Amino acid sequence: MELWHYDPPPDLAQPLVERLRRFPREPDMLVFGVRGLSAVVLRGWLKLYHRFTVVGRENLPSEGSYVMVANHCSHLDTLCLQAALPLRKLHRAFPAAAKDYFFVSTPRVLLAAIVTNALPFDRKLDPRQGLELCGHLLDNPGNVLIVFPEGTRSETGELRPFKPGLGLLLAGRDVPVVPCLLEGTFAALPKGTSIPRPRSICLRIGTPRRYGDRRAGKRSAMEICSDLHDAVAALSADAAKSALPIPRPRRGSDELQRVGSSVL
Amino acid sequence: MSPAAALASPVFLFYFAVAAGLLIFAGIAIPLLRRRLGDRAAHAWQAYLGWLILAPLGLGAIFLGRETTIVFLTVIAIFGFKEFARATGLYADWYMTGAVYLGIIATGVTCLVTHPDLTGPGWYGLFIVLPVYVVAGLFVIPIVRNRTQGQLQAIGLAIVGFVYLGWMFGHLAFLANATHAYSYLLYLLFAVELNDIACYVTGKLFGRHPLRSNISPKKTWEGSLGGLVMSLALPWALWWTFPHFEPRDLIAIGLIIGIGGQLGDLAISVIKRDVGVKDLGATIPGHGGILDRIDSLIFVAPLFFHYVRYVHDLYVGPPTGYE
Repeated sequence: MELWHYDPPPDLAQPLVERLRRFPREPDMLVFGVRGLSAVVLRGWLKLYHRFTVVGRENLPSEGSYVMVANHCSHLDTLCLQAALPLRKLHRAFPAAAKDYFFVSTPRVLLAAIVTNALPFDRKLDPRQGLELCGHLLDNPGNVLIVFPEGTRSETGELRPFKPGLGLLLAGRDVPVVPCLLEGTFAALPKGTSIPRPRSICLRIGTPRRYGDRRAGKRSAMEICSDLHDAVAALSADAAKSALPIPRPRRGSDELQRVGSSVL
Repeated sequence: MSPAAALASPVFLFYFAVAAGLLIFAGIAIPLLRRRLGDRAAHAWQAYLGWLILAPLGLGAIFLGRETTIVFLTVIAIFGFKEFARATGLYADWYMTGAVYLGIIATGVTCLVTHPDLTGPGWYGLFIVLPVYVVAGLFVIPIVRNRTQGQLQAIGLAIVGFVYLGWMFGHLAFLANATHAYSYLLYLLFAVELNDIACYVTGKLFGRHPLRSNISPKKTWEGSLGGLVMSLALPWALWWTFPHFEPRDLIAIGLIIGIGGQLGDLAISVIKRDVGVKDLGATIPGHGGILDRIDSLIFVAPLFFHYVRYVHDLYVGPPTGYE
């Protein structure tokens, strides 16, 4: 009789928080259950409290891996992008999150890894390893990588230049890249605040782009970033023509006035 | 069992005082002995912090009542099984793992609900035959999924996981239905820990001859005898907590804990050695996994349960004020 073969996971002897810090993480029923439940609750909350709407959902590819690229000015951004995806994609959607911010304290690790399924991206010490992780995800079919290429949340609500790392990841890699624009998240929960305000949020999803024909290199990376930046910004220009109302600034909100002027 | 009953029970208050006293003593002693303990001080402190979480959780669940005790022990069984499933690789099969989870929850439910024909809480008959239905259910899974490859191993592991870690350990939860629930539960939790400590201390002091060299190389016959002596002596010291017990019962429960506790410990070691891992998890700081903490109870719980039920019945006599 042949001996049974056991297959213990590499993180067996690690406590839960350490296991959540790792990437890729081993699937865990409890984590999946809590994430599924929180996704349902968060989607309901976004819908009711923020009157969350998605324009251009049909632009999301139905098969294969793809990248969602969006502007970033609030912690709500990730939740909104994930809420636009079908629930079956929930455990396959990985927002790249700053390791030095989200993977430091235990409460943040629990929130980032359990609720948003975040990928720890070391933007300061070792961004190359983060890019390798992202590349590995995209090489496997069915994954969604969520990236905020501005690098951090905007303090003014305006779209800032994209970091070239995204271009390095995408150059020569034949995956669809979906530009997205989030409107209203800055007014709802800007950097430095912790209680969301009841502001309307709209996610606009553009048509996917591909950069498989670009040669890997710094120049291509810059071009890709510039192209994606323009694509995201163009969505806001589209918004002006759209029949859908743009979230209106609240009286006295200077920050939102600035966003409004940039959108229009 | 209820908060009011717990506060009125000398047994509960006694064990509460013992636990609080030990925690306070250890909290003072470990920092004071830091220099003498050397490298072991950090580990001892970690284990102490683990107890600071475990003891209030366990005592709190028992204090709140029968239902919280059963739910608490069922959750422990679920997480214990999860460690086993992860270590063996069974966890990759979510259908089998989910079925065992449901089986363990069903065990907890049979402890909670009361059959109308029975004189006390809990559905004993269904609790005892539950493995039949769970094993049958586990065999149905590959049939429904039309799979054969590796299914015997998965079913085998799932049966071991349910029967050993869910159902056998579940006997402890059923004891929450007994008239003398405080006496039985708190004694078992206290006695198996004391048995472990006695084994460790006598093994360290006098250990020469390995007990089972391939399974647990550090355990010795001397340590095992030390644990047995402690377990045989303890019931006499705590006889007042079992006013309905006779001397033969004290000897019997001493043997059950002294031998059963060590067999439970070795049984989990067999699993760990065969799988090839040192710890089955790291759920409790300083203690390793949940199974490393409850291993002795898994053997002891059903042996103690059936002995007490056979000799005295679970729902023995009117309340004496000591239950």
